[in-house]
Amino acid sequence: MTGKQFRLIAIVAISVLFLAAWIFPIVWSVLNSLKTDGDVLAYPPKLIFAPTLDAYRDVLFGSASILPNLVSSFIISIGTTVITMLMAVPAAYALARLRFRGKAFAGFYVLATQMLPPVGIIIPYFLILRNIGWIDTYQGIILIYLSFSLPFAIWLLVSYFEDIPFEMEEAAYLDGASRLRTLWRIIIPQVRGGIAVTIVFVFLNAWNEFLFAVVLSGNTVRPVTVAMFNFVSVEQTLWAKLAAVSVLAMLPVVILGIVAQKHIVKGLTVGAVKGGGRR
Amino acid sequence: MSGSATTSEAVSGVALAAGPNSLDRAKDRKERRFAAALLAPAFLALLATTTFPLMFLVWTSTFRMDLAMPFADGFVGLRNYSDLLADPRFWSSLSVSLIYTASTVVLQVALGLALALLVMDLKRSQGLFRVIAILPVVLSPAVVGMIWRTFMLAPEFGIIDYLAINAGLGSKNWLGDPTLAMISVIVIHTWQWTPFAFMVLLASLASLPEDIYEAARLDRASAWQRFVRITLPLLRPAIVMVVIMRTMVALTAFAAIFTVTAGGPGTATEILNLYAYRKSFTELSIGYGSALAVALLIVTLLISGGLFALRRAK
Repeated sequence: MTGKQFRLIAIVAISVLFLAAWIFPIVWSVLNSLKTDGDVLAYPPKLIFAPTLDAYRDVLFGSASILPNLVSSFIISIGTTVITMLMAVPAAYALARLRFRGKAFAGFYVLATQMLPPVGIIIPYFLILRNIGWIDTYQGIILIYLSFSLPFAIWLLVSYFEDIPFEMEEAAYLDGASRLRTLWRIIIPQVRGGIAVTIVFVFLNAWNEFLFAVVLSGNTVRPVTVAMFNFVSVEQTLWAKLAAVSVLAMLPVVILGIVAQKHIVKGLTVGAVKGGGRR
Repeated sequence: MSGSATTSEAVSGVALAAGPNSLDRAKDRKERRFAAALLAPAFLALLATTTFPLMFLVWTSTFRMDLAMPFADGFVGLRNYSDLLADPRFWSSLSVSLIYTASTVVLQVALGLALALLVMDLKRSQGLFRVIAILPVVLSPAVVGMIWRTFMLAPEFGIIDYLAINAGLGSKNWLGDPTLAMISVIVIHTWQWTPFAFMVLLASLASLPEDIYEAARLDRASAWQRFVRITLPLLRPAIVMVVIMRTMVALTAFAAIFTVTAGGPGTATEILNLYAYRKSFTELSIGYGSALAVALLIVTLLISGGLFALRRAK
């Protein structure tokens, strides 16, 4: 074997090892979700077994159904996404395209808000929402989700607005179109792709959030990431059901992640070029 | 942004040449008003959900506020902060935070860079790597934590434990032993976020100019020399960016530790963020919890200030 061949084999072997490490916990959860309670506890662990959808049937339609929690997750994520986009699109356009005093400061402010640790937001907001009776409500959770979704969406959208050629806007003005009309008819269609990508990431971040959800949720509003805990207690873990719930919680974000795969690096690093930022 | 500024200057320059000055100023005022109208909703929401809570947090941190014993509540000035400095659990959580952050960030960058370099040599299957790498990073850290806690690490059930038994190490209490628990939460975070460093660094590597490497090869530079002299300096901005972003996230990591160990056993994996949460929402000492959150903000600002200085330094 030549040195070059050996090198290639080593590269492939190490890379495959990494791939396996990344994919295994996910695949293993999927496999466990398709097992019976007997198969899931088998020792040594079973790779070959008769798959069944019992666990899914139980967690979706059984006595402790997590269907309401999935609905909660969807309402929270969609609500957050809609409100965030309604506010972020105009703001991002202004930051990217208009001239006004204090623009640099406004951009910096949007980034700086992300330095505040989430726990520092939830402590005061818990007190406030408790006083106005908004604990365990959709409006309470969606309001607080704006604290991380808005800065993220604004910065991601700014990067798309900055890519449109200026000439299009000028042509519209010269035709006598109003600013708002130009924004709506000329600019927005140009950044449709960017808006779609932003929607995907805002939804994803809202779906995955946990700290705010665990503090603010209750019996009415409890997203699936929090409800997952119903299946693990000190006395016993309901293995197959927990696996099924995990898979259901992963499914929407995995689909979105694969749909948006070309944009994922941009989505993950937005704002970083200009400052700090968390995911 | 600089591009937009020059273009709009050019536009107003045209207006200046064509019409009287007052027209130009009226146009500017109109643009400012339009900008203010567009920005107002988002900025009001940001003020309400970030700046206002920050001020309220600092205010709360000067009170004794105990939801379990409301009768003892009252203004205490800086008492919470002096208590904090004398609190061994604060110092322990701070050191857990620093160990957790430093080790996860170093591991993510080192592994991510190594893998990106390896994959650059694979011509055909890069696409597969890019898709697989997306999976961990889009998952909720809470779900990731739950999967690891159960299917990977549960004694005599999890795969890691199964492998340990077969390797002759015996079954371990992965989350019950302080050292193993700390290693476990570090491994879990590294597992989830190394793909992020990998994707960013791979994208950066792919954009490096090929001709420099050709020149280096002609000069008979060894692979190691090429890496140290060319690749690393060119990747530096990307590496520093990954370090900054991942440091901020690791300092405020919550879900993956909360679901796996909840900070335990004892306080072995309790990072400062988790301590502030537990103090506020488990022990219901909101005032002291607020002081801890302010301390976390100060630590975050200090560390990010240092990292930004590193980014500017040549």
